Amino acid sequence: MAEIKKTKEQSSSTRSLQIVVFKLGNEEYGLQIDQIKEVVITPNITRVPQTPSYVKGVANIRGNVIAIFDLEDRFNLERTIQTQGSKYTLVVESEDVKMGLLVNAVPNTVSVNASDLDETVGIISDANADSNYIKGIIKSGNRLIILVDIFKVIDHEMTSAIKKATVAA
Amino acid sequence: MKNKEEEYKEIFLAEAMSNFEEINRLLTNLEKDAKEKNTIHSLFRITHTLKGNAAGMGFQGIAELAHVLEDLFGEVRDGRISLDTNLFTSIYKAVDILGDLINAVKDKSEVKYKGIKTKLEVLIKRAKEDNNQLNKSSEQDFISAPGDDLNETEDVNSPGEMNNKLSFSDLVQVPVRKLDNLLNLVGELIIEKDRILASQAGGLRASNEYARLSRISSDLQYSVMDVRLVQVGFLFNKFHRVVRDAASSEQKNVTLKLEGTETEIDRNVLQVISDSLIHLIRNCVGHGIEAPEERKKAGKPEAGVITLSARNETDAVLIEISDDGKGLNYDRIKSKAIAKKLITEEDASKLSKDDLSLLIFEPGFSTMDQVTSISGRGVGMDVVKKTLDSIGGTIQLVSHEGQGTVIQLTLPSSMAVKSSLLFELDREVYAIPLAYTESVISLYKSDIHKAGGGLVATHLGKNIAVVFLNDVFDQNIDLLGYQQNILQKSFDKIHMEQKLEIVVCTFNNRTVGFVVDRLLQQKEIVEKPLMRPVDRIKFISGVTILGSGNVCLVLNVPHLLQFIFSLSTAGKNAKTFNLN
Repeated sequence: MAEIKKTKEQSSSTRSLQIVVFKLGNEEYGLQIDQIKEVVITPNITRVPQTPSYVKGVANIRGNVIAIFDLEDRFNLERTIQTQGSKYTLVVESEDVKMGLLVNAVPNTVSVNASDLDETVGIISDANADSNYIKGIIKSGNRLIILVDIFKVIDHEMTSAIKKATVAA
Repeated sequence: MKNKEEEYKEIFLAEAMSNFEEINRLLTNLEKDAKEKNTIHSLFRITHTLKGNAAGMGFQGIAELAHVLEDLFGEVRDGRISLDTNLFTSIYKAVDILGDLINAVKDKSEVKYKGIKTKLEVLIKRAKEDNNQLNKSSEQDFISAPGDDLNETEDVNSPGEMNNKLSFSDLVQVPVRKLDNLLNLVGELIIEKDRILASQAGGLRASNEYARLSRISSDLQYSVMDVRLVQVGFLFNKFHRVVRDAASSEQKNVTLKLEGTETEIDRNVLQVISDSLIHLIRNCVGHGIEAPEERKKAGKPEAGVITLSARNETDAVLIEISDDGKGLNYDRIKSKAIAKKLITEEDASKLSKDDLSLLIFEPGFSTMDQVTSISGRGVGMDVVKKTLDSIGGTIQLVSHEGQGTVIQLTLPSSMAVKSSLLFELDREVYAIPLAYTESVISLYKSDIHKAGGGLVATHLGKNIAVVFLNDVFDQNIDLLGYQQNILQKSFDKIHMEQKLEIVVCTFNNRTVGFVVDRLLQQKEIVEKPLMRPVDRIKFISGVTILGSGNVCLVLNVPHLLQFIFSLSTAGKNAKTFNLN
């Protein structure tokens, strides 16, 4: 790993990225650390009607009621997360959205070189995934981390939620 | 009536005091930097406001003095009078007397102000006659100015500086934001109280300490809510102008009568409905009241009367808008609704007048064939209804042809705390605001019958539609197309002997009994809105945190009912489509 870093540093920028890595299905997914607020033990989740199956419901995290997502369900991955009693919730936050993601274990943080991020990969996405939430692929040693922009995933959620609301009304 | 006047007086005083302090502050600024135009402008504006307010309240002295000051600042602003020390002395003196006058309103003492007023008047006059020699001669002119000699000497004796005691208003102005924050904190406190209680199972609930804590926190809650109450009069009084403008552009003759203006209501509720009220009143002028000639023909006085009244009722505030106009034209509503495909011709003949009245709140409905500037853009009535739905209010309409229309709004007196009924459904706890619940009944499966695509039960001689909440929540929205017997699914599954708990809800003349798993308790809850990205869920209006720390969902009854009934009409449409 150290070797790779060195060679890359010479060729391009020396900026490093802090990535929080967690497992979904059999793959490793990553989020930029500044999108993450905290990791908490998953509280009791209240199911909410009128939501797609990957919205597990809402939960009270430090007095804030936030929506909890199951990304394995969202990305149609092999289920490794137990819906009941999944241990940890990753709280992500942007200026106007705050939500929780279910994970199996405490995620670890990886520092990678910016040049390790390949943003140009042509990923074959299924036809109905009209938002490109995959930011790129990080190769770190023999690990392959899929970097997602979680708020793109959510933006997509919200537009479909709007669609649903209009259908229902 | 007396109370109202007292209240107005209090408000005037609070405003006048802050004006007075502002004048003092600006004057000191001006003394430091006499060239600052903005300060002069502000002074001019403030004295003008003060004059207007005082004249409106009938405080002649304040109005006159403020008027002279306003003139003076006007002259200074236009450069006809230049400021110097002498002038400042007299202005300060005048302002001090103005302060005395304002205080005099409170303690009813007599303050002589004519002298200083005359002095300033002379000054202004001189400035108008000749603004060149003003500076030199002003001092002499002051002393020899015509006027009440006795007052003059008194004025001279009273010092120009502020060494008389500072006065404070009895009212404090607080931004609503701070009140909202306070109320939120009280809400948190109550949740926390419940939580501690839940963790200390047993014993504690009965103890004295608990009783005291409960009493104090609920007292606190109600005091904070009370602070947020304002009189509807403040909003109602603005409508004189609205009516006048609307009437003059429609060339109608309308007077507005206000009743029950001292009724108190949460400030936020008032804010939310203010636009709706404006719309309803404009509608009354536009649609309800006839043109003067038409009224004459009908044997009514030429001037139409719109009455806006408010009164308190246990947990709500009723606002009624009534006019003595021509009333609703039910035939027109019928034909319009059919033309707009809101109802079918077959339905139209069956609908009662009340049902027809409700049609005007449907989106895209407007009976006026022509669009006028006042009303009839076809947006509005549905927006009014949505606004009311959003705060848990209702709207009702009664009309007699030729005699007029009465629109009744039922509003919650407070938005923050809702009494709710908690129940369990599929292991989750939900809350349903008591404002919508009519009764709670329990029936056996055998009491419930299939009728059409839904379920019906008879309770106290009334037939009510019964819906399993589970069926509604289980809907896969993507497959929303009408499915046969969607609302009978759970019913088919349950055992014949099963006893069912049913919460009967009413909203806008629609009544539905919701079948729930278990009834829990009645509780005052503090509702919080859902946050993005789940804020668009329509069945849930908000959430609250229970004593256990778990989240409880609050049902959005208006939307649920709307959904259920749209489902049944969707079914009807699907059926007719199949037949074709």
